[in-house]
Amino acid sequence: MTALIEVPQSFDDRAFEQFAAGFVAAQGGSRALVDAHACEWASPYGLVALLCAGQALVERHGAKPLLTAPADREVAAYWARTGFFRQAEALFEIHGAVPRVKQPEESTVLLEVTPVRVAVDVHKVVDHIQDRAAAILTAELGLDPKATVGFGMALSEACQNIVEHAGTGGWVAVHAYTWRRRLGKRVVVIAVGDAGVGFRQTLAPSQAASFGDRWGDARALEAAFIHGVSRFRDPGRGQGLRGIKRWLDRWKGKMSIRSGTARIAMVPPWDDDVVLKDGLALFPGAQLQIVIPAAAPDARRAGNDTSDAPPARSRPDTSTAPPEAK
Amino acid sequence: MIAEIDVKAVLSRSVCEFHSDLVTRSTGRAVRNGIEAHLEEHPDVTVVVLDFSAVRVLDCSCADEVIAQLLLRRSAGDAPHATYFLVRGLDEDHADQIDDVLRRHGLALVAEERGGAPRLLGWVTELMRTAWERLASRGPAEPEELASDLAWPLADARAALDELAFRHLVIHADRRYIPLPAA
Repeated sequence: MTALIEVPQSFDDRAFEQFAAGFVAAQGGSRALVDAHACEWASPYGLVALLCAGQALVERHGAKPLLTAPADREVAAYWARTGFFRQAEALFEIHGAVPRVKQPEESTVLLEVTPVRVAVDVHKVVDHIQDRAAAILTAELGLDPKATVGFGMALSEACQNIVEHAGTGGWVAVHAYTWRRRLGKRVVVIAVGDAGVGFRQTLAPSQAASFGDRWGDARALEAAFIHGVSRFRDPGRGQGLRGIKRWLDRWKGKMSIRSGTARIAMVPPWDDDVVLKDGLALFPGAQLQIVIPAAAPDARRAGNDTSDAPPARSRPDTSTAPPEAK
Repeated sequence: MIAEIDVKAVLSRSVCEFHSDLVTRSTGRAVRNGIEAHLEEHPDVTVVVLDFSAVRVLDCSCADEVIAQLLLRRSAGDAPHATYFLVRGLDEDHADQIDDVLRRHGLALVAEERGGAPRLLGWVTELMRTAWERLASRGPAEPEELASDLAWPLADARAALDELAFRHLVIHADRRYIPLPAA
């Protein structure tokens, strides 16, 4: 029997939970149909998550799942411009019209959906994007030119999580767009995801014993994201996420990581996201999102002096976190 | 003898001539191996200036491999004499990455940011930092001179200078302690 997994109409990191629940519910089927025909918009996080699901479904069923492309021609054309279908062809049996499009020179797609498997892929990604990202970050987002070097660092460290820890390949995508509903500003969004082993399994050999029964996805994310723990004993390891957080704090950015059944976030003052969520639908690997917002107009005039910005919350606010899964 | 090493050039030779970015741990290892090979070929080098001017992006993993692991391996190795490292041509983000990885290992290094004065990156005590900053601004000094400058007890000045020399942040020659950029 073919199990249906619906792609949300507007597919971003928040709507992902609906998709993940469908992914879990489809476990009983002999094959899956990922239905995106009604999808009207997908963030880079949504597109990367679809590929992660595709990879996991191939492993689950031993055959490519079906994918219906968005029925709306403009939406399908946008997905094509993001490079999504090029990657999806290897993972899905695609149904519906897939437009052939050429990437326009001035595009909001800073980096097409790009596979990341080995270190040289990370080099290519940073090489490819750095000059264009510098222009977008300074001209469109109004950030200080100093921000652009850190952007490359953040992108590199995010991608290296796949190379170092996933045990499989993953994807990265970077788009710039206006985030009307949630922020009312231009943002640059980096999405990195894989369907690999996830943080819990990566850290289990060095951490699980000390946590005992409490060990799980949420504890693993806390260990890596807040305490900079890695699977290596070397104190120099596991510092990539810390470096990204430090850079994002300076530019009032946001980062979230979802792995297994948990999600952790560094929440800036402009957002109301929950820092730690547990007991979510099980989804393989790890999916990371970084959001860099445009500078406030006064910050642009003042040369981006963000020294008066309150620090982002980076410790779990347990009062707002849902009860953990038993 | 002083050797100035263009880190971008080492990156080009060791990894790929088209890369300007010091990213990924494996790249860091390759660049560090390139620097170590250079030092092996020139055993008389005592002061090594690592020039980052042409480097665009430096990430945490690469900073750890190139800088922190280089210092750790050099101090644990059997070099015939002390080697003093100095980093030059850093921008603010480079300096942040290097400072953070050095602190994680309890290490420190003299650094010159682009257009900026020399400063210490990494972990040192406040006493050491104050002593080093005074030495960097006034030039070589004996413990008595530093104690007089800072109105410190002589024992404190001597202890701070000895610790700086032990960690290869200043050169101790005869009775004088010499800050690295002046060396």
